[in-house]
Amino acid sequence: MDLLLSTQDLREVVAAMPVAPLPGRPQGIQGVVLYQGEFLPILAWEDLPGCTIAPGRPVAVAVLRRRLGLPLDRMIGTLSPPPGAWQELELGDPRERWLSGTCRLGGQTLLQVDPDRLIALLHRLREGR
Amino acid sequence: MQARQTLATMKEPQPAHVVQASVNGLFRTTHTLKGMAGMLGFPNFSRAAHRLEDIFDLMRKGRLRSTDSLVETLEAGMMALESGLANLRMGRQEPDDYLHSLRRPLGELEALARPAEGGTQDLTSLLDLPAEMLKTLSEYERTRVTVLLISGMPVHGVTVCLDYGTFDERLRVYSETLGRLGELISTLPMDTPADRDGLAFLLVAACPALEAKDLSALEGELVGIALLADPTRVPAALRNEVPPEPATEEPPPEAPSAAAPPNPPQAQDVEILRLPAQRVEALEVRLMEVGQLRDAASLLLRQAPGNGDGRPAALLGQIESGLLEVQKALLQMRMVKVESLFSRIEPMVRSLSRDMGKPVKLTFLGGDLELERNLLGRFSEPFLHLVRNALDHGLEPPSERAAQGKSESGSLRISAAQRGRNLRFDIRDDGRGFDLERIEARGIQLGLLKAGQVHSPERLHRLTLEPGFSTQERITQISGRGVGMDVVRTEVEALGGEIHLSSEARRGSLIRLSVPLSRAVVSCLKVRCARQTFGIPLVNVGRVQAVKKALHGGDQVDVLGISLPLESLQACLGLPEPSGQRAFVVLGQPGAAARSVQVALGVDEILGRGEVLLRSLPELAHAAGIMGGSAQEDGILWVLDPEAILGLAMDSLMRRVARV
Repeated sequence: MDLLLSTQDLREVVAAMPVAPLPGRPQGIQGVVLYQGEFLPILAWEDLPGCTIAPGRPVAVAVLRRRLGLPLDRMIGTLSPPPGAWQELELGDPRERWLSGTCRLGGQTLLQVDPDRLIALLHRLREGR
Repeated sequence: MQARQTLATMKEPQPAHVVQASVNGLFRTTHTLKGMAGMLGFPNFSRAAHRLEDIFDLMRKGRLRSTDSLVETLEAGMMALESGLANLRMGRQEPDDYLHSLRRPLGELEALARPAEGGTQDLTSLLDLPAEMLKTLSEYERTRVTVLLISGMPVHGVTVCLDYGTFDERLRVYSETLGRLGELISTLPMDTPADRDGLAFLLVAACPALEAKDLSALEGELVGIALLADPTRVPAALRNEVPPEPATEEPPPEAPSAAAPPNPPQAQDVEILRLPAQRVEALEVRLMEVGQLRDAASLLLRQAPGNGDGRPAALLGQIESGLLEVQKALLQMRMVKVESLFSRIEPMVRSLSRDMGKPVKLTFLGGDLELERNLLGRFSEPFLHLVRNALDHGLEPPSERAAQGKSESGSLRISAAQRGRNLRFDIRDDGRGFDLERIEARGIQLGLLKAGQVHSPERLHRLTLEPGFSTQERITQISGRGVGMDVVRTEVEALGGEIHLSSEARRGSLIRLSVPLSRAVVSCLKVRCARQTFGIPLVNVGRVQAVKKALHGGDQVDVLGISLPLESLQACLGLPEPSGQRAFVVLGQPGAAARSVQVALGVDEILGRGEVLLRSLPELAHAAGIMGGSAQEDGILWVLDPEAILGLAMDSLMRRVARV
């Protein structure tokens, strides 16, 4: 699954670190790493509705401005999609809860992560809603 | 690289205060580099950083003037460190002297700054202050006094006596005002005059002239201004010994008078410059060091076994324990005892009690606990407001109390206790309690409640915290304080805390505030379960016991003649059930009576005890029963929240009973 992350939402991308698993972890969070002297929660992709990303061995962690780490298998590059490339998700798509839409580029579909929706979803998952 | 960029900007003409801020920043950067390199085992790098740190120290103390050649030498020095760092990253050997190519210009600079007689000039004795007070000035503050006097700037002392409730905010206003007028050198606590209530301070500041009207004093604030040292008293022979101010070789302003001071700095720069106290600087330096070292060392610890690095584990262990010590020291500097909050309350209560004619028996509990200094700063005002409210609205006048059969003296009990990751404060009085009928009527009147519906006491208590609930009457009663209960709630919630109110008519009220601590040093019993390490705060550990027979969740164990239910820690945390455990920890509430809830918590292994630096978990990572974590040599140690674990254990035991 290839994803798009807006650079405006990124604090930085750092090399992957071993994640300390949280006992009785909250849904959506696999554990924490130490980042700048504080604990940074690391997303469990597999817990997100409609997500087909399986737990793997990430090479990097994208640190969002809102202090959430997204484990990444690889980084493809940066791009500026033309306005016409954007598409809404289909109605009822479960990924709507954490994606803002898709971007069609050269026959490839990229999914854009929406950090606000994602964090709101994680809060709801934590509260069991 | 950032340091080099800062140095490059210093080649441009800059106001003296901007140069001073840059030099202070560079001093801290090199100090951090020195510490990090030393801790990570690169002594030559550390030595080189130390040498540059010394140069910046001489500059910030005004003993070296910032010139193009000096800045270029320092730029070359920073480049040498940068390139040395890149070589270290590639695994190359350390050179003996990173600054070898700069040995001549650096030597010249050091010689230039060295006083001829081998000592340093100190003009603080010119200050018209008692000797005990002079002794409290730091080395940096002494240097600033000396430099400023030699540059022709008079040094003034401003004494202020500030109200307990607002002194933090008012002191900041005075400090910023003096910063705008010149340079604030030091803020010293003083004895409060016998005829006044409040806290008194002496602010030592250098500025051309100072009058009371410059200081924006509020009505009723006692402010005094005195000239502490006149620059004309500086012996003429000393005038050239210390360069006046670290500054670029900017042409002097037109036609300056002999004693004309430099232009006052701009307000936005004042914030950077006005941190003269060495404690604050040391705190900042250590903060950076600890943060960076912690990350680097933790990464090394995890990578070492797999990558054939070859560094001895013992060395890494030493770094880890050294880091813990630094972190603990840093934490100590960040923390203040709750006692310091209580000590502000006591005189305020005495004064209000006298003014209102309401005798009060005031008791405190938990003053030994600690909270973060910045938390205290933001927490004090809402807290003091609640105490004032308890006195003003909660406690009845003596005659009314006597008529109800109560003692004429009211009781006000203020306690602090650590509950999980929160510090919990209770303000308890034995007054009239909240008038719930009146609150309900007011709520209906204001449209916040619907008439004809039943409203729970909890809802009605909570209503007093709603914005807009305050009536004109209430505002009048707390006039001059500028805050209402809704503001208190906003402040507490902004700190991530909670406020809870309860009361009983004619029996009294309880206001409970909880604020989270971001970090704390906790003495723990270390145990292992499900191949993970956990810490149980020792204050909650009643007993540790090993048994021969394997125990299972739901068993009863005999502890000193008392039968206690046993639950495994795994079951509490939702981890796979163990096949049997041969050790348990009796978990209870600290200081609670024997009849209070106790549970035997089954664990796989007892590891020992120790102090750990607890970091709280971000909200997204909150896990039931976990108070926070602590980075240890072998990974993260999870510190249990004993109260939550007690609840989880009881829930689990109830489920076991239900299944039978």
